[in-house]
Amino acid sequence: MKEFAVFWGCTIQTRFPFLEKSTRMVMEDFKLPYRDIDGFTCCPEKSLVNNVDHAVFVVTAARNVSLVDELDYDLVSPCTGCVSNLATVKEKLLHDPREKETVNRLLKEVEREFKGRAKLSHLVPFFHDTVGVYRIKQKIKRDFSGMRLAVHYGCHMIRPSHALKNDDPLEPKKFDNLLRALGAASMDYMTKMTCCGQGLDRVDQHDNALHLAREKLIELRKLGADAMVLCCPSCFLQFDNNQFLMAKEGEKLSTPVLYFTELLGLALGHSPEELGIDKHRVDCTPFLEKWASLREKPPWEKGLEEALNLPGALT
Amino acid sequence: MIKSHLDMKLLEKCSQCGACYDICPACLNFAGYDPRAAIKDILEGDYEKWLKSANIWQCLECHYCLEMCYQHYGFENAMTALRTIATKKGYYPAQVKRGWEMFVKTGRLGEPNEGARKRLGLPGAKESGKEEFLKLCELLNKKRKAG
Repeated sequence: MKEFAVFWGCTIQTRFPFLEKSTRMVMEDFKLPYRDIDGFTCCPEKSLVNNVDHAVFVVTAARNVSLVDELDYDLVSPCTGCVSNLATVKEKLLHDPREKETVNRLLKEVEREFKGRAKLSHLVPFFHDTVGVYRIKQKIKRDFSGMRLAVHYGCHMIRPSHALKNDDPLEPKKFDNLLRALGAASMDYMTKMTCCGQGLDRVDQHDNALHLAREKLIELRKLGADAMVLCCPSCFLQFDNNQFLMAKEGEKLSTPVLYFTELLGLALGHSPEELGIDKHRVDCTPFLEKWASLREKPPWEKGLEEALNLPGALT
Repeated sequence: MIKSHLDMKLLEKCSQCGACYDICPACLNFAGYDPRAAIKDILEGDYEKWLKSANIWQCLECHYCLEMCYQHYGFENAMTALRTIATKKGYYPAQVKRGWEMFVKTGRLGEPNEGARKRLGLPGAKESGKEEFLKLCELLNKKRKAG
């Protein structure tokens, strides 16, 4: 496996260091050749920077990519936005030699060069494709059979597909596959592919952000999901923090929100505290208690054979 | 001004299509968010009224429209152009202004929370590329001024 630099992004290191911790723990468990490198800046956030200044957006992203190009590493990030933004610029420059030249002329002034060789992946498709479902299945100590989990992909894990090229942009499968590999039932639900709506919280439209969060959380509560699983700090902010704010106002939607790395970490045998699950604002105890109660139940096949051999059992 | 940001030919077709309407989360949820109306106004050169509108900030950049678009263009491009012009004229949502100021000053949208990271046993955060970033911004600005 090729060495890769981890692109943590601003949000995880600023607001959710515990997500960095669980990510490191699962990467260690699989002995992945990850590296921390100096010199990254914000990816940058497209919906902020690109709207204000396109040229700054392009050159900042190109510079970040040039750092891994130089070291001949790939890049993996536990943030969907970071990968999507970096990949968007990489794709643009690879298909526009003139713009690439302009950008490189500028980068030369700081002794960098964008080549666009490094592979840029989000952690979820990376675990699916490079670590592999089989290896994950072999390694886990306890699975989630009997648990009903709702995947929330996060738009930028899969879109824009021309830049990311990692899954179907409308009906993705990889995140679901990983959950199934962990033994859980990955639920199908109406609002599964709807955007989380966190972006609205960054343009002074908090009520609209809550409106979109509510849509998904209400459906999941009705369907009885044990937890929502996602792998994007922005989506996490939306569903954990905003759900907590809604609860404070009396609107209790009570759906625990888990990061993919936390779920995987639990399956690998780490405790919720080690993984930082106790630092969420929405209480994950109901999820953990149900999981613990399933452990106490006898496996489904126990006693089956005797039952089938009882006189008259099959008539 | 807006013509330098957009491909008017593609936009013309965009104004007659709408393949993305039933999948766009903002179209489905927010009254008054109507990209086709905005595109029609852009084509007619009458887009000023959108610049101060909160609607143009409701595009979530989820890229659904881009995936649905027969031209692989998508009306997010129109929204981006309107936002760019709006910010040039100083019509920002306050948070965008704060975010942008922090970004151009530090090259990040927040500094690593070293206290919390230490308590979790995480290694110190790596150095940021702030200096190079600031230099690049300066060079860009100089280049622009020189035309």
